[in-house]
Amino acid sequence: MTCAKFEPLIALYVESDLAEREQRLVEAHLKTCAVCREFAADICDSQTALKELRMDFVEESALHEVRAEVLNQLSIPRKTVAWSKYAIAAMLFVGLWAGWLWRTRPAATPDLQPVAALIAPPPLAMAPPPQRPRTRVVRHRRPPAPTFQSEPLVVKMITDDPQVVIYWLVSQNGG
Amino acid sequence: MQELALLMESGSVDARDQEFVRLVKQAKAGDIAAFEAILRLYERRVLLTALRLLNRNLEDAKDAAQQVFLRLHRSLGQLDENRHFASWLYRITVNVCRDMTRARARRSALSLEEAGAGLVAAADDPVRSEQRRIIYAALATLPERERTAIVLRDLEGFTTSEAARIMGCSEVTVRSHISNARVKIRKFVQRRPRRPL
Repeated sequence: MTCAKFEPLIALYVESDLAEREQRLVEAHLKTCAVCREFAADICDSQTALKELRMDFVEESALHEVRAEVLNQLSIPRKTVAWSKYAIAAMLFVGLWAGWLWRTRPAATPDLQPVAALIAPPPLAMAPPPQRPRTRVVRHRRPPAPTFQSEPLVVKMITDDPQVVIYWLVSQNGG
Repeated sequence: MQELALLMESGSVDARDQEFVRLVKQAKAGDIAAFEAILRLYERRVLLTALRLLNRNLEDAKDAAQQVFLRLHRSLGQLDENRHFASWLYRITVNVCRDMTRARARRSALSLEEAGAGLVAAADDPVRSEQRRIIYAALATLPERERTAIVLRDLEGFTTSEAARIMGCSEVTVRSHISNARVKIRKFVQRRPRRPL
């Protein structure tokens, strides 16, 4: 294994990021290679400088700004949600009310109807009238009346006295 | 809140976990005060990490931190309070910063000198200040995945397996990123002449 191949391992070795087997391998190489020992020392130096950055901190004003902005943004949607709830409820109420008005409207325009129509109950358009049992109407034609064009009509009148019977002859021509 | 933060840093694990689980449950139930308590516990770490991943651009880092906490709030319902919360939060942070880095790369590249003024040094020593500037410049030259891996491992102190879980890749890949990054930083530090003090 060449020194170039050891470099990435040494970069991990200095912070104990290697598995035990690899760590032993690097240690064995470092014992015999001065160049790699120098490389490891350089990496240790730059790591020390890098870790100095752990001590950095942020100013309190920056933290305060972040916090205030987050809490502000969290409060805005809550108000919006509350308003939208009221708006939806109001729209629902108006819709239901309009629907109720539509269902209970008069059947026709009142101006053109007589007063009797206004007070009449609404037509039961939905319920069909009960069906009557079907009956067949048969019309019997009367036999034509006898016509006496030439013979006179005889009217018999019976009186209280059985002995007296009156016969009245009537002409069909209006006589 | 300060007491709780101290508890989170150094207190007993049981008390810390119980207190945190209680906060998460309350936040899930819509308690904004509980969510604010969680925010205060993690805001420093999230903003610091965002600053490091975004080359110390403070404005971008603040935007990223806001997005992280808003995403956290949206995802509270899916959060299992018994899982390791920090890894989960870091994963969101890494994803948000990755998206921002790609969006910014499309807009314009940040110069090394620009790689910013968002962080404050613990000690105001000129030599260390110059060293910091070089290291930050070196970090800025790294590809996004390598920078994320080295920030998580060497600055945030995660193990390689934890870093792999946060980045959503294998441990072998993360170790490769870390190794490449350390070699590149070492070369950058050696080649870059220090400014005269």
